[in-house]
Amino acid sequence: MMERRKQLPFPHRTSRRPLWQSALLYAIVIFWCFIVLFPFYWLATTSVKRPIDVSRGPNYIPYIDFQPIPDHWEEMFGTQRESTERHFRNSLVSAAGSTVLSVIIGAMAGYGLSRFKYYWGRLGWDNDNIAFWIISQRFLPPAIFIVPFVLLYNAFHLIDTYGGLIIAYTMFNIPFAVWIMRDFFNSLPVDLEESARVDGATRWGAFMRIVLPLSAPGLVAVAIFSFIFAWNEYLFALMLTNFNAITMPVLIAGQNNTRGIEWWFISALTLMAVVPVIIIGLLLERFITRGLTAGAVKG
Amino acid sequence: MSNTREDKLMKRVFLSPAVIILLSLSVFPLLWSLGISFTDMQRGGSTTARQAAAAGITDGVGFLGLGFELTGRNYERLLGDGRLHSTVRNTMIYVFVGVTIQYLIGLGLATVLNQPFRGRNIVRVIFLMPMVMTPVAAAYTGRMFFDSNPLRSPLADFLRDFGKLIGLERGISAPWFTDIAWAPIAILIIDAWQWIPFMTLILLAGMQAIPEDIYEAARVDGANALQIFLRVTVPILLPISMTVILIRGLEIFKIIDVVVVTTGGGPGSATESLTLYIFEQALSNGNYGYASAIAYVLLILVIIFATLFLMAGRRLAGGGRE
Repeated sequence: MMERRKQLPFPHRTSRRPLWQSALLYAIVIFWCFIVLFPFYWLATTSVKRPIDVSRGPNYIPYIDFQPIPDHWEEMFGTQRESTERHFRNSLVSAAGSTVLSVIIGAMAGYGLSRFKYYWGRLGWDNDNIAFWIISQRFLPPAIFIVPFVLLYNAFHLIDTYGGLIIAYTMFNIPFAVWIMRDFFNSLPVDLEESARVDGATRWGAFMRIVLPLSAPGLVAVAIFSFIFAWNEYLFALMLTNFNAITMPVLIAGQNNTRGIEWWFISALTLMAVVPVIIIGLLLERFITRGLTAGAVKG
Repeated sequence: MSNTREDKLMKRVFLSPAVIILLSLSVFPLLWSLGISFTDMQRGGSTTARQAAAAGITDGVGFLGLGFELTGRNYERLLGDGRLHSTVRNTMIYVFVGVTIQYLIGLGLATVLNQPFRGRNIVRVIFLMPMVMTPVAAAYTGRMFFDSNPLRSPLADFLRDFGKLIGLERGISAPWFTDIAWAPIAILIIDAWQWIPFMTLILLAGMQAIPEDIYEAARVDGANALQIFLRVTVPILLPISMTVILIRGLEIFKIIDVVVVTTGGGPGSATESLTLYIFEQALSNGNYGYASAIAYVLLILVIIFATLFLMAGRRLAGGGRE
């Protein structure tokens, strides 16, 4: 009997649930899925509507309420191609660059804080204090960096460069990267490294060849968060770029002023900016949940 | 194994890059902007330097010849700045109302997702989607929905029909972004739409970590579902709830993108956030000194919020368990 129950998809709880509860459950789930998905649907349909169908609507269903046209997508990849490509590339380069740096630097510091004992004598700080100081940097309001960053970036000619954006995003991503990686390494047994070191591996060799491959899930989580943060970031991209390095969010936000509100074109552009992160989210949801709960669940 | 010479070196190698970056790009700018907040620095020099240049003096101007003057005027100016006061109020509303809504709905949805049902894994992935969306994009989408013209916005269309259905002659119509009372609500909804998933996912993970026998014991004692939720689930989730509320609260203090895209701070300054105001003072007006002083107001608010919250959390956790 026990054997059979285990093979049922949902043991014991489903059978107890009255019908009205199941109905309510599904109603809430479907309602919320609708709330989440409908805006995406609306973006997608708006991007293939004629301007007249956008302003004299609302038109919900393609081919019935309105005749879809590919014009805005063609414009985005046709006359606007140079701009679309440049901004997309800017986003990609600055997000990818800062992701690589954040993962490397975060993994190193996380490993250090997990395996060595630090003591900063003058401050009286041990590992926990240092880790707390690092994560606290993540929660400083970015507004406080506006003036110093503008002055600093002007002095070092970093305004409107990939390097400038990559440096800024790496700085913002490091605290979270260190936090997740430290948590991850803490849960990783030291035996493997120790036996590798008995066999003559250096500390660095053991880190690179034994520890890192075992921490792939943690590294992926850090990479996802860093990438999504940098991809979506608006304030610093707006502040530190003016033409060459402008990223997608700044381009989209600026549609307001430069062309008047062309919802159809903005929708296409918005989808373009959102697709990469949504794909990452859908494919790698497990890692995201894991990364989010690192530390948070344990308290 | 950790006392060899190699280890002493490696210990530094591992931690140094992160610490050096944070010291030079976070701690140093933080202190620097505190310094700037006590000067009359502006874009392209300072008031002192400009006056001196106009008088034909180029060398040794200002404090130690650095070209600016030390002053406490920025902080005096804070007190009489009505626009600052309204941005502080708006930011506080975003933080406190926003966090409350997001937490309550997030907790409800986590409870739902904690039940076993067919398709739960797919639903969890769908629930996550708004969270990864670019905030600027979410804000534009929100702007389409909160258009009060029912010819353009599906939401206005729905509200009109729904209003008629419940017997209102002309339906329900809200002047979202043009009204000082409605505009903050629209912004709160957009931010909530985007970040409820964050609450949901973390609270769900917390719920799934609660062992089944605790529930079993409560059922044996004759507790009903509501009692179990209020007396078992909620108290156990208290520490993790405090964490998510704190994280979201601190994040909302930074809000700017949604405001810029939807209302630009208007009507008037009814929706302007502190971060947006600081940005405008620094980059549109070039008032570096004053912008830094306001940024320190924001920092102090954030520190007060976090400290009070951690203290309250410690007291609640202590009273609940020990």
